[in-house]
Amino acid sequence: MLALHGTGVGAGIAIGKARVISKPGDNIARYEVAEDDLNAELKRFKVGVENAIASLISAGEKFEDSIPEEVAALLETHSLILQDPMLQEETVKIIRDKNVNAEYALLIYQKRMQKVFDEIPDPYLSSKSADISQVIQRVQGALIESDESAEQSLNNQPDGAFDGEIIIANDLTPADTIALKKHQISGFLTNLGGPTSHTAILARSLQIPAIVGLHNALNLLRTGDLLIVDGKRGVILAGPDEVSLDAYRRRREKIIHRSQALETLREAESVSLDGQKVNLLSNVELPEEVALSVRQNAEGVGLYRTEFLFMNREELPDEEEQYQVYSEVLKSSDKSVTIRTLDLGADKQVDGGRVSESQGTNPALGLRAIRLCLHDLGLFKPHLRAIFRASVHGKTKLMVPMLSTVEELDQLFILIAEVKQELRAQGCEFDDAIPIGAMIEVPAAAVAADIFAHKLDFLSIGTNDLIQYTLAIDRIDDEVNYLYDPLHPSILRLVKMVIDAGKNANIPVSMCGEMAGEPEFTRVLLALGLREFSMDPASLLEVKQRILMSDIRLLEQALPAIMSEMEPGKLRQKVTALNQ
Amino acid sequence: MIERDIEVVNKLGLHARAASKLVKLTAGFSSTIKLISREQEVDAKSIMGILMLAATQGTTLKLTVDGEDEVKAADAVAALFADYFGEGE
Repeated sequence: MLALHGTGVGAGIAIGKARVISKPGDNIARYEVAEDDLNAELKRFKVGVENAIASLISAGEKFEDSIPEEVAALLETHSLILQDPMLQEETVKIIRDKNVNAEYALLIYQKRMQKVFDEIPDPYLSSKSADISQVIQRVQGALIESDESAEQSLNNQPDGAFDGEIIIANDLTPADTIALKKHQISGFLTNLGGPTSHTAILARSLQIPAIVGLHNALNLLRTGDLLIVDGKRGVILAGPDEVSLDAYRRRREKIIHRSQALETLREAESVSLDGQKVNLLSNVELPEEVALSVRQNAEGVGLYRTEFLFMNREELPDEEEQYQVYSEVLKSSDKSVTIRTLDLGADKQVDGGRVSESQGTNPALGLRAIRLCLHDLGLFKPHLRAIFRASVHGKTKLMVPMLSTVEELDQLFILIAEVKQELRAQGCEFDDAIPIGAMIEVPAAAVAADIFAHKLDFLSIGTNDLIQYTLAIDRIDDEVNYLYDPLHPSILRLVKMVIDAGKNANIPVSMCGEMAGEPEFTRVLLALGLREFSMDPASLLEVKQRILMSDIRLLEQALPAIMSEMEPGKLRQKVTALNQ
Repeated sequence: MIERDIEVVNKLGLHARAASKLVKLTAGFSSTIKLISREQEVDAKSIMGILMLAATQGTTLKLTVDGEDEVKAADAVAALFADYFGEGE
C-alpha cells in the first residue's frame, strides 16, 4: 500500500480504479519498471515498434497505386528509421539502464538525437531530426494504443468511457475539464494546481473528491491501480489493504449520509436567526448546469461564465451561436442570470489562435478579460449583441470582469449604447434596462470601489483573482500557493471597502469567488456586511445551513476585534471562533 | 577487413533519400559496414547514423567493411557513392 499527499480540493471519499490520461507526444509519463518486469517492458517496446511499422504501411496503402513519389520516399525514410538498429538498441539500453517505461525511454532518446542534429550546420540535414521525432511519436502512440495501462487522450473518448474511474493527469486545462464532464468520474488527481485553480473549481462543481499539487502522482500511479482518494485530507492510498478499504467505505457512507441530511434544507429560505434575508446564487459554466442551480433552489445565477463556449474548438462561435446558448441559459431559469462577459486570456486560452498568439510572459497581468475585449471589438461586439438579443428570454444582468480603470467603463458604456442603437435600427428586441455591473477583482478597483459604484448598478467581488493580485501569488503555482490566504487582513479590508462602497452608493454587492462558497468564511463575510453569495451550486446547502444558524447582529459585534487584530494567528482564531 | 576512402560527390550530400538508398544496400550484406568522418564512426546500416554524419558534397569518408562478403559489399557501396546515389548530379 502506497500513500501520497497533496492538496485536497473536493471533499468526500472516492474509491475506484486509476486512469492515467495524457496526450501522446506532449506529455509522456515516466514510471519505474521493476527489474522483474524489464523483459515484459522490452517485449512491449518490440510490439510497439511492430505496430508502428504496420500503421506506417497502412498509411501508405491509403494511396493505393498512385502514391506520389515524395510521399513514398518519406514513408520509406520513416520505415527505415523505425527499423534502425541504433534506435532500437539505444532505446532498449535506456529502458534497462534507467528502469523506465518504453515511451519515456523513447523521449530521452529523441531529446538526445535532437541535440545531435541541432549541432549539424547544414540546415537541410539538421531538419531531419523532425522525421526522427515523428517516427518516435508514432512508436509512442502505438505503445499507448497497444497497451490499456497507458495514457489515453480525453477528448477522443466516447461519453462515459471513464465512468467510476479516478482520473490522473499532469494538469487539467479549463478546456480539458469540459471534456471531463462527459464522464461520470469518481475523482481526479493532478500534479499541478492549488486549491483555487480551475481543476479545484471543477471538482467542487462535480461534487467529487480531488487532490491537486501531487508532484508524483503521474509517475507512481498506473492505470488500473485501485485507489482510495480522501479529498478532505488530501491523501491517496494506492493498492489499499482490506482493513483500509473497509474503514474508508464506512467513512464514505457517513459523508453521503450527511449530504442527504443537508438535502432537507433545499426548500428552506435562507434567513438568519435575527431575520435577515441572505441571497444565495450559483455560479455556472454550462447551460446544463442551470438545472442544478434551479434544483438547489438558488435565487438565481450570480455568475454565468461565457468563455467556456469559446474553448476547446478551432473556430470562434459567431453571434448567432452565442445568442442560442445564452437564450437557452436564460430560458432555463425564471430567476435573474448575471452574464459575465468574456474572461479570456491568462489561463483560459482560445484554441482558434486568436488569443494565444500574443501571450505575454505574465498573462495574468496581461491582455485579458475586459482589456482583451475592448482591444478586439470584432470579438466583443458580437458577444454584446448576442447577450442583449438573448435578454428578452429572461432576467438578464451584465457583468464585466477585471475592471481596473474608469476609462474602460466609459468605453464599455459607449459600446453598449452603440449595440442598442444598432439593434433598434435592425428591429431586434432586447431588454433596455439590463443592469450593468462589474467584478471587483483587481486591487485598484477594490480600493477605488466608491468611484465605480457610482457608475454601476451592482458590484461583484471576485475573490480568487483579488487574493492572487493583492498577495502577488500565482494561484496555480503550487510552490507559492500556501501564501494564498482569504483571511489576510488586506483581503478582509478590501472586501469591506467594496461592501461599504456599495452601501453608500445604494447598489447591491455580491461575491462570486471561491470564498463565497466556503462555509468556514460564511460568518465572517456576513459580519463584513455581505448579503449576496454566489457559489458553486454544490456548496449552496452547506452555506445555507450556516446562515440559518447565524445571528448577524452578534457577528457584527465581533467584527471590530477581528479587523483590528494584528496577529495573523489570533485573527484566524477569532474567525474560527465565529463558527462555534 | 577492407578500408577505403570514398568521396561524397553528389550535390545534395548524404541526405535522407541518399541515406535510405545506402541503408537498403548495406542491409543486404552480412559484413559489418562502418562509415567514419573525422572522429565520428557510424553503422552504415543505420539511417540515423548516416544522417548524423551530416556529410555534404566534397566530404571524404572512410569506409570499413569486415565480414565474409566484405569485397562485394565495399565495391557496391563505393559504386553507389560514385553513381551520385542515382541522382545524376
